[in-house]
Amino acid sequence: MNLLSSLLARSWRNVHLAIITVLSIALISGLFGVERFVSRVVVSGLYEPFFYIKNAVNDLTTAADERDVLRESLVEASMKLSLQEEAFRENLRLRSILGFEPPASYHIIPAKVISVSGVGLPTAAIINRGSKDSIKVDQSVINQAGLVGRIIAVTENHATVQLLTDPLNRVAARVSSSREMGIVKYRTNRGLILDNFPVQGTVAVGDTILTSGLGGIYAPGLLIGTVTSVERPEREPLCKVDIATAANFRSIEELFVLLAEEPWSE
Amino acid sequence: MVRVIPYVIYLLLLAMYQVIFANMISIYGATVNLAALMVMLVASFKSEAAATWFGFFCGIVLAAGIPDAVGWQALVLALLGMVAFHFREKLNLESLRARLILVVSGVLAHNLLNIAIVHADAFWYRLFIDGVLGTIYTGLIAWLFYLVKEKKLTYQSIKSIF
Repeated sequence: MNLLSSLLARSWRNVHLAIITVLSIALISGLFGVERFVSRVVVSGLYEPFFYIKNAVNDLTTAADERDVLRESLVEASMKLSLQEEAFRENLRLRSILGFEPPASYHIIPAKVISVSGVGLPTAAIINRGSKDSIKVDQSVINQAGLVGRIIAVTENHATVQLLTDPLNRVAARVSSSREMGIVKYRTNRGLILDNFPVQGTVAVGDTILTSGLGGIYAPGLLIGTVTSVERPEREPLCKVDIATAANFRSIEELFVLLAEEPWSE
Repeated sequence: MVRVIPYVIYLLLLAMYQVIFANMISIYGATVNLAALMVMLVASFKSEAAATWFGFFCGIVLAAGIPDAVGWQALVLALLGMVAFHFREKLNLESLRARLILVVSGVLAHNLLNIAIVHADAFWYRLFIDGVLGTIYTGLIAWLFYLVKEKKLTYQSIKSIF
């Protein structure tokens, strides 16, 4: 029995080996192109799904690399665009300044604002000009739109400008049309107002307010702003006049300090 | 039929390795001969018929990209599986080293025959890269496999190193 099973096992082994040998010889000899058929079947059945996976992974990797490169380019382009926009805005500002002329008998020293201080609207600004540029206390500071403030402190290289928006600042002013005078000051809750202006005075919405030159600090004729509302309360001696400033205090950058060729007060 | 499923999975793994990982893990052109390794491992643990037939199909999958070599590879790997099985039976290998030597010998034999079948040119270069380095590389993988299989290398032991 053992002999029989051993013989069977051995013959089975030989059968296996014989089949494999025949198949291999068929594949080696290329009988009827069987090796190409087998090769094609294996490649399309076993290899191709993994080719797809490999290609998908490669695509993803490439896409990730491209995404990183594009992201860098985007940041670079955004920076360039931002710089160009800034240059464009500066260009516009400088163009508007180019045609700007100082009041008669004054010449101007251009200055750049290097810092501002104040809550909400700035009340003071530091400029990059100082005593070595002939800057002195109480000189008027303007920009291309109108009056901005006055110098209140000077160091060798810097000066501090008290802006119109400082509630402690007072400017002797007059209404351009009627030439009537008042005091311009800043109220935190109302903005710029024309104070000390009698109810009988002639002022209307849209009138421009200029410096009067009285007091010896501000040069006369500098534009302060435009009247936006006028109230004449009954039984009160003074009217309430609100003014919109000519200068935009939220975006002061280039300023001009007015230097009297011959001090107007003298 | 169910007994065939693991072998089909091995063949799929071989195809996946050939397509995706073979180039990825190659070191100076030397790569793991997974087909020979699998056949040797099947011959070490399974029956003669399983080793022989698995070798045959491994050869077909391995050389599918080169139709002229399909028959040779199938024959060589089938014979390799059968011979390895008989070595295992006759020598009654017990120690890890002995089994490893058997696997490495089989891989070396296949690598050398592979050079004869596929690579007609740059014989000495292929002999060094595939014959020597490829066999060492495959032997290392086989060693790791046996360490894991015999639970000499476990997650805990790796964790304890760190």
